[in-house]
Amino acid sequence: MTTYMDIISLLILVSSFVLVANKKQTSYIKTFRIQSFLIALSMAAIGFRHFQQNGRIDAFILCALIIGLKVIYIPNLLNKTYDKVEHKVEKDFYLNIPILTLLACGIAVFVYFIVTGIGQFDNRDITMQVVNMVSVVLIGIFFMITRKKAIGQIVGFLVVENGIFGTAMFAAEGMPLIVDIGIFIDLLTGVLIMGLMVFRINDKFDSINTNKLKKLKG
Amino acid sequence: MKFIYLAVPVVIVILLLFIKKRKFIYELGISASLLEMLITLSITADAVSGGQASFKMSLGIFYLDSFSIIVLDIITILGFLIHIFSVGYMERDCKSGKIDEKQVRLFFILLNAFIFTMILSVSVKNMGIMWVAIEATTLASVFLVGFYNKRESLEAAWKYIIICSVGIAMAFLGIVFLHLSSTGVLTHEHQFLNFTDLTVNAANLDSSMLKFAFMFILVGFGTKVGFAPLHTWLPAAHSQAPSPVSAMLSGVLLNSAMYGIIRTFTIVNINLGNSVFAGRLMIFFGIFSIAIAAIVILTQREYKSLLAYSSIEHMGIIALAVGIFTPASVFAGLMHIINHSFTKSMLFLSTGSILQKYHTAKISRIKGILKTMPVSGTVFILGLLAIAGTPPFGIFACEWNVLLSIFNEHHFVTGSIAAVLFAVIFAGIVHCLFSMFYGETPETIEPGEPNKSGAVVLIVLFVIVLAAGLYMPDFLFNLLSNASDVIMGEI
Amino acid sequence: MIYIILQLIIIIGLAPLMNGIIRKIKAISQKRKGASVFQMYYDISKLMRKDMVVSDTASWIYTAAPYVVFGSTVAAALLVPVCATEGWLNSAFMGGDALVFLYTLALGRFFLMLAGLDTGSTFGGMGSSREGLISSLLEPSMLIGLFTLGLASGSLSISRMMAESTAKAVPVLNPAYIVIFIVMIIVLLAETCRIPVDDPATHLELTMVHEAMILEYSGRQLALMELAASVKQLIIMTLIVNMFFPITFALPAGAAGVALAILLYAARVMLLSVLIGIVEVCTVKLRFFSVPNLAAIAFILALFGFVNYFVLGR
Repeated sequence: MTTYMDIISLLILVSSFVLVANKKQTSYIKTFRIQSFLIALSMAAIGFRHFQQNGRIDAFILCALIIGLKVIYIPNLLNKTYDKVEHKVEKDFYLNIPILTLLACGIAVFVYFIVTGIGQFDNRDITMQVVNMVSVVLIGIFFMITRKKAIGQIVGFLVVENGIFGTAMFAAEGMPLIVDIGIFIDLLTGVLIMGLMVFRINDKFDSINTNKLKKLKG
Repeated sequence: MKFIYLAVPVVIVILLLFIKKRKFIYELGISASLLEMLITLSITADAVSGGQASFKMSLGIFYLDSFSIIVLDIITILGFLIHIFSVGYMERDCKSGKIDEKQVRLFFILLNAFIFTMILSVSVKNMGIMWVAIEATTLASVFLVGFYNKRESLEAAWKYIIICSVGIAMAFLGIVFLHLSSTGVLTHEHQFLNFTDLTVNAANLDSSMLKFAFMFILVGFGTKVGFAPLHTWLPAAHSQAPSPVSAMLSGVLLNSAMYGIIRTFTIVNINLGNSVFAGRLMIFFGIFSIAIAAIVILTQREYKSLLAYSSIEHMGIIALAVGIFTPASVFAGLMHIINHSFTKSMLFLSTGSILQKYHTAKISRIKGILKTMPVSGTVFILGLLAIAGTPPFGIFACEWNVLLSIFNEHHFVTGSIAAVLFAVIFAGIVHCLFSMFYGETPETIEPGEPNKSGAVVLIVLFVIVLAAGLYMPDFLFNLLSNASDVIMGEI
Repeated sequence: MIYIILQLIIIIGLAPLMNGIIRKIKAISQKRKGASVFQMYYDISKLMRKDMVVSDTASWIYTAAPYVVFGSTVAAALLVPVCATEGWLNSAFMGGDALVFLYTLALGRFFLMLAGLDTGSTFGGMGSSREGLISSLLEPSMLIGLFTLGLASGSLSISRMMAESTAKAVPVLNPAYIVIFIVMIIVLLAETCRIPVDDPATHLELTMVHEAMILEYSGRQLALMELAASVKQLIIMTLIVNMFFPITFALPAGAAGVALAILLYAARVMLLSVLIGIVEVCTVKLRFFSVPNLAAIAFILALFGFVNYFVLGR
């Protein structure tokens, strides 16, 4: 079980590297879908364990929610948004990709050293999973900083959210159910609002390049 | 059963979805917020009638004590006053063709949803739910910030939602670590993440994990509070939002995010036995925010952004006061929360009147407010004096008490820096804004108040601010000292 | 000693078959009948019988290169246990060192590049410079990957690494191993001039890398070059299957065991080449300037496996 969780967490981290190395906005969405699916897989594993131990099905509910929302609904929504607003392919990043991936790797190594310094994590099975998930969070933020387009930023936000959800899941086998459901509601409304904002920005600025949003300073 | 006040805004939002007539919308909004205010005031009356004994009220995940009551009262009282002001404001915008009927309805729906998320965030004891509510405040208010749908307001709204969502996400990471630090200590599922249970068992939590958790929560909720250097969304959002919303953001929203930080702060301090680690972080963010605000205020050209930076400064002062962590400083910090909320809302509301009269946000294009708008102008100038820290207003007393408690703790360097920065900010505000009041009014502008009911609100707020500086009633003193006991760790 | 000879025969004998399988897969995906899987054997035997044409400007390097390339590749093949059974893996013959292995292959590549430059033709030079770039970008990933496996087994000997993975239940399902596995697949595709990096079937001037370097060769020399390339491909495939899916090392010694080991080995590499064929069909060739991105990902994954193992010891 531990090994299985280790691998899933590592693959989630790898998927966030792939995200940083992606060039097209459609492939961001695809990568996000894969990452969410991996998270759903590990949630399902936790669900099985809980079910065997005491017959609880919370984790299965969450797993279904993840698949419904993050694997199917939100990526489709983003794809639809993309189809409507984006008509030409443009470069979407500030630095070139090898440098981006190397910096992302630096972040992950940094997290290794920070998290392994926390006392409670010594000699525990979950250390590596937590390290990987916290790295996903920071890489998500890094991804948001280095992309110009609004869709990239939304995907970055979703990846940050995935990472945090993953941290909760791997470290504590999830938060209390009511909190998790609240998070999903927030996430869904957040993405809907951001999607709507993308349309409006596209209307007013003729582009979803957030570089053009720099009138307000100071 | 008094938790019924939580249901009021929800009911209003649902009703507003079906009501089309503008007049009904106004009446419904005002009466509902009045009802909310009355319920919370009656809870407050319960709380203070018990004398010195600390007050607690709890139902399922809901929970209120003296500290949350203070923040809750601010939300509902300002919610009521801002509702009244918004009616006049929206009416005028609607008549001048800036917005249409549909948007008026949307405004009140979102405003009530916003109020609901804020009162929810201060009346739960589960940190997870609190996080959900604070994240929901962002979502509810983002369209209020981008309400005018212009380029600038869209930009502000985009910045607001992106920066705040990510920041708040960091806070959630902190909450996950908070939960982890309690593994093995809290055993029942219904205890998980409750700050009451965490405070009771604080001494047994895992310290290194808790430190980590506090750092993330401070940075995360700190984004929402507007600590420098995470403040960049704040001036943009405050300057682009309609003025009643700016008043709401500055006077109310920042407090509820601060509330989350202070709750964690208490737990960490009990666990570590002193306030060195967490207190220093708070003091650092406090001083840094004050310093950034001081520098920017000196060179500001738009009056609403200037007030936004002043909010950053005051949040810094509150963080500083709480970070010092003596009973006196925490008391002063709580008093500051109250004073700042009322004063800053009053200022933002009066800028609403000014904006509707002059149609510009630039300081340099505005002359002769005192002549054009006697009420708003007078309130604005006196409010500026209050916010800059002039006696006899409440802010002065608070800043004075904060400085005193800093020096009492022998933090001489911190204290002197803070004192110098207060002086710089005072000079900055006077230097930048006082040119607005005098001089010849441009001929195109006719004198008179644009918002009659709004003027009444301004006067009421001004009376509150003045009274708070001159006199502190016993019940308020008791409430504040109970709340500061709560923050100091008595549950 | 017998084992060494056996291993040599198996590797050289099987190598062209892998190319045949990959081509067959591609042909099937294009709804062609395609050449027989043994086509490369016929090609090589045909080339062996043909005359050579050597350019006037070519120096001795041109003549020596095929022999050096073939020789070094075969030497590298000797360092990798192919289908050893229980006792043989730990015998003295099988102490192949990972660094020696890598740099023996690098020697071959070096001569290949020199040969490309030697005739002075434009394509040869272009191919050499591209090969140089690709291999220098991918070398660190492969090195770090092997180092990580070395850390896990406490030795840089390839056979020790394989013994270590035999001791694990399902080696590829270990966090450090799974990333190294991905790295190795990328390295395999790049080193053997497979599609995301280079197209082995093309003779289009602008895109070819490996074909450009051996463009001038003919006859016996070309046969050697082609054979060396396919042997190299098989070695790396062997490394992957034996490192990540070791099943033969636990078999008992003896004739029956050896026979079973050879069969299992052949089955696994064939499966892997089918997989490679499918990957080739599914992906498109990268722009040459995008190859560094792929290399960066491979490098980071390798580094990641390393840090993972090193910091957490698991």
